[in-house]
Amino acid sequence: MTNLFIQSPLSQFEVVNLIGVNAPILGNLHLNLTNLGLYASFVLFIILGLHIYGNNDSRLIPNKWSISLESSYQSLNTMVREQIGSQSERYFPFIYSLFFFILIGNLISNVPYSFAITASGVVSLGLSFTIFIGVTILALSIHKLKFFAFFIPAGTPLNLVPLLVLIELVSYLARAVSLGVRLFANLTAGHTLLKILSTYLFKLFSGSLFIAILTLIPFAIFLALVGLEIAVSLIQAFVFTLLVCSYLRDAIELH
Amino acid sequence: MATNPPPPSERASEIIQKLPSSPNLITKTGTALLGVGAAATAISQELYVVNEETIVLIASIMVFTYIGKVIQEPYSQWAEGHIQRIKKVLNDARAEHTGAVQERIDSVGQMKDVVSVTENLFALSKETAKLEAENFVQLQKVTLASELKSVLDSWVRYEQHVKESEQADLTKTVIEKVVAALKDEKTQKDILTSAITEVEQLVKSKAI
Repeated sequence: MTNLFIQSPLSQFEVVNLIGVNAPILGNLHLNLTNLGLYASFVLFIILGLHIYGNNDSRLIPNKWSISLESSYQSLNTMVREQIGSQSERYFPFIYSLFFFILIGNLISNVPYSFAITASGVVSLGLSFTIFIGVTILALSIHKLKFFAFFIPAGTPLNLVPLLVLIELVSYLARAVSLGVRLFANLTAGHTLLKILSTYLFKLFSGSLFIAILTLIPFAIFLALVGLEIAVSLIQAFVFTLLVCSYLRDAIELH
Repeated sequence: MATNPPPPSERASEIIQKLPSSPNLITKTGTALLGVGAAATAISQELYVVNEETIVLIASIMVFTYIGKVIQEPYSQWAEGHIQRIKKVLNDARAEHTGAVQERIDSVGQMKDVVSVTENLFALSKETAKLEAENFVQLQKVTLASELKSVLDSWVRYEQHVKESEQADLTKTVIEKVVAALKDEKTQKDILTSAITEVEQLVKSKAI
């Protein structure tokens, strides 16, 4: 008799300890390497590796990897320049790093048996909140008290000001959540869908030969969804950085 | 069967040929056999559990392979075109630089005899100046000589004129004196007498 054990589709997003060190020193030292930490390290090493290899020993003539990196650099630079404007150079390294972190994190999550760090609320919401706080501090440091004019749209009647300030404030605060949730929800939804569908497909493939052959039709759709997930990985990385650029522009220019 | 199977010795050598050997340590057959064998062992020993993630694995491999194959060729072409463009720009710049340097070398090379040419030119100009000076001196001499000649000529003309004038005066005086003498009767008589005397003498001498 076989025991059928089906995990929850969301269990793939659980952060678990892989290696841990517990020592009764330094206030009961407790160090753990989680799957999140491991994959974040993978992301770091892959990004570093890509750029070191793409550097092509600092040769003047690039190789094919360098071309792809240079092309990405140029596309991102164009985007940042268009969004932020004259001060874009100052923020470009941050946007570039952010884009590659999210992109590689998303793409790694498409590898089977891997862990999706960007589908983790801690990472995506942590990123978005950090960026939100940073952008707000930036806006306050640039505009001082005039920053609060951001919450009053131009030409607002005086009696509507309290209401509009409230609405604008909520809308502004919602950015912190929406930025992270957009990334987190897209990745989670995609991976969960693939997990659920693969569970069904596995069951169908495990049946009789006839059903297994028929299952090739939904499997073709599944293949398309895997392709779509790769596209989503790219699009979400782009959307995240584009929105960060937009928030930075708001902070610099105030409307 | 129409075709005879190869002799056992040949068949054996074929099999030996197919065996992996360095540097082709892993052949396609070997890889396939090893892969299938390893997968079968892993599944049978429960080292690898076939589950829904296997479906994702297979689908991912298929999608990644497809994307790789679809993208590889156009990307390679695009990247190669880009690389070639950069190479062209750099090579053109290098060629241009080499040309400019060569041009400079040539232009400097053209001036390699400039010192000797300048020295020769200087010597020539010195010679010219000297000749011009001599020419000037000669011209001066010629001018002086011609001036002297003209002065002398005019002197000669004057002298001649004076002489002609004196002669004319003398002749005039002589003629006047002769005319005056002829007007004198005594003289006329003397002349007549001398003439008769001469005629007589001539007659006497029977010259006439």
